[in-house]
Amino acid sequence: MTAAAKSPAKSPAKSSAKTLATYAVIAGAGLLGPLVLPAFTTQFAFLWVMVTFALTWDVLGGQMGYNSFGNVVYFGIGMYVCAVVQVAPFTDLAEYNSAYGTQDIGLTSLQYYAGLGAGCLVAALVAVVVAFVLGSGILGLRGHYFAICTLGLGIAAGEIAAGIDIIGAGSGMVTPLYPGEIGTRNRFFYYLCFALAVVTFLALRRLYAGRFGLAINAIRDDEDKAEAMGLHTTRYKTIAWCIAAFFLAISGGLVGNIVGFIDPTDVAFAGATFGVWMVLMAILGGKGTMWGPVLGAAIFHVTQELFWIYLLGWQRVALGVLIVLIVVFFPQGIIGWLRERYPHRFGRRIEAASGEAEEPAQ
Amino acid sequence: MLGKLKPLALAAAAASLCLAGGAASAKVEGDTIVLGAAVSVTGKYSTNGKHTMNGYNLAIETINAAGGVEVAGKTYKLEIVYYDDESTPARGAQLAERLISQDGIKFLLGPYSSGLTKAIAPVTEKYGIPMVEGNGASRSLFTQGYKYLFAVLSTSEQYLAGAISLAAEKAIAEGRKPQDLTVALAFENDPFSQDVRAGVIDDASTYGIRVVIDDKLPKELNDMSATLTKVKAVKPDILVVSGHSKGAATAIKQIADMKVDVPILALTHCEAADVIGKFGAKADYTLCATQWAETMSYSDDLFGSAADYAKTFEAKFGYVPPYQAAESSASVQTFVDAFQRAGSFETDAVRDALAATDMETFYGNIKFDESGKNIAKPMALRQVQNGSLVVVAPTKWAAAEMIYPRPKWSDR
Repeated sequence: MTAAAKSPAKSPAKSSAKTLATYAVIAGAGLLGPLVLPAFTTQFAFLWVMVTFALTWDVLGGQMGYNSFGNVVYFGIGMYVCAVVQVAPFTDLAEYNSAYGTQDIGLTSLQYYAGLGAGCLVAALVAVVVAFVLGSGILGLRGHYFAICTLGLGIAAGEIAAGIDIIGAGSGMVTPLYPGEIGTRNRFFYYLCFALAVVTFLALRRLYAGRFGLAINAIRDDEDKAEAMGLHTTRYKTIAWCIAAFFLAISGGLVGNIVGFIDPTDVAFAGATFGVWMVLMAILGGKGTMWGPVLGAAIFHVTQELFWIYLLGWQRVALGVLIVLIVVFFPQGIIGWLRERYPHRFGRRIEAASGEAEEPAQ
Repeated sequence: MLGKLKPLALAAAAASLCLAGGAASAKVEGDTIVLGAAVSVTGKYSTNGKHTMNGYNLAIETINAAGGVEVAGKTYKLEIVYYDDESTPARGAQLAERLISQDGIKFLLGPYSSGLTKAIAPVTEKYGIPMVEGNGASRSLFTQGYKYLFAVLSTSEQYLAGAISLAAEKAIAEGRKPQDLTVALAFENDPFSQDVRAGVIDDASTYGIRVVIDDKLPKELNDMSATLTKVKAVKPDILVVSGHSKGAATAIKQIADMKVDVPILALTHCEAADVIGKFGAKADYTLCATQWAETMSYSDDLFGSAADYAKTFEAKFGYVPPYQAAESSASVQTFVDAFQRAGSFETDAVRDALAATDMETFYGNIKFDESGKNIAKPMALRQVQNGSLVVVAPTKWAAAEMIYPRPKWSDR
């Protein structure tokens, strides 16, 4: 969408009208979805969570060219911090999480909503601080070294959480029960997830359009040159990671409450599922683009749900085959493929010869 | 621009989800009662997930063959809708949600493992859908005040507590004080095993037995040699290991490989891991906690005695049923009994009927307390003797004395 800014071929008015129409359709679908198909509310909620996953992964992985396999750390931190903030003021946390048993603490509506709000906020802040500390430490690494380091982070975080007794260690932690009706609960979390995805999208779009976006793209295209031009690359990289962490932590807090049970390695720091899916969805849709992660998340989530229903026991195999097919036929992701196929629709004109061929991908 | 693409993709998404939902069926359709279950077909619990599924399937086939279920004068057949939770709690909770809200299922059978049950119970509770489960044993499931969760099995802290009493008895018989005994613990870091550990520690402290090693094992349990090296050095009197099927297989294999000598070795999940079939004589003298054994004297009208159940099961699936299968079958029987007594398919009527359950099955007596756990059936302890499992405790079913201590590897 930011292509609009550098699209000399089209009148800005026409382009923005189209953009507006797109937003209206998505907003309409997003707002009405759970009302039209109430039975699917939770799946739709997860769809938006997946969109948030892919968008936040793309900040580093796509726009900045730093493949991170450890973003799930912030998701997990968010989940735990939010749950702790929800529970700790009302009961003894160690007792709540002991293997002998968790009690139903029966929160009132006010306590619940206040706890959830505060929980998400604190979760986001804690994740940003952790991202800042980790980022300052390891964002000096480049390429494969960074990727491997983040992979280690994700695994380590799960093991550490599985060893902390006060948050239930390996026995996991149960989030408080929602005080209202069933239908309301699902809709409540659905709209939170939807809002989070929308806010994430708009915030990132705003950031990519400005100096920050140019800076992280410069880091992706040639980090040494960017540094030579006077960019504080490590500072930009750390900020980028903090931004991803901020939104991921909130999504973690919400998912913890939707699932209702936090297992350290299978739900919170689930590197093998959520952690890998983030990467997959962004690449599937087309990394380094604004709409790629959104599209990738939607396609991934829907195919996954379908495979789960119709290919019992083989769903992972089918998913694997799908991934292979995508990598073979759409190495640039779906948006990347479309851009190559229909460059004029992306505001690019093939002028005589390959005049614009070296324009950095956006 | 992409404007056109996105709504299209969304529409496609919505349409395909509708299709998926269209295939769904209501809880009681015509003359069929549809139960739902998310079980682990793939992932780390796939072995036990299969036992669970086989147990459910055998029960519904047997019940259907015997004429079905008569509720309020009408006869119904049973059917189960399955999903694969991939052994992860996040998936389990979503699938429970799907079974209830999309497929319209009103009665759920439990998944395999305490972790999955912990994830699904909040969902069934939220919707007021009764769930009868036979594979979630963690005590923490029954302290939440859940009203719609019923478990036919004994809770996990009872699994290996018997092994400690047995060791203490042996020590007293030898003229030693139980306080002089030491125990080494190696438990997987998951809700079930950690609860088993809590039970063992409680029991050890009542006898004054000292815990000398207390290790947490990772969930993908393929190696415990570090713990076993410590065991070789410290020489405890009892070694207790729990980590589902993988834990049992790893323990037996590595204890034999490393020639670890310990007077008593107690495990969970020996049968499910088929340690005798896989490791033969290496598995000898191991104590195994069991919810049920085919040599026990329970019986009912449907399957006959415990031994008859084992025969039927083996004829159908080609292996001796581990207790995971038996308790799964018993879960279905419990539901059927409740349907018949409730005389309706109102979820709350069925829930109340379940709470009032007091029945005898091939698997043992079933009677739930306030929290929904079965209090009418004790755990048993078996020992591998000459390649077969023999009940050694409690005394009511004991077919043989425990062989104690385990012979040293150098003497075998």
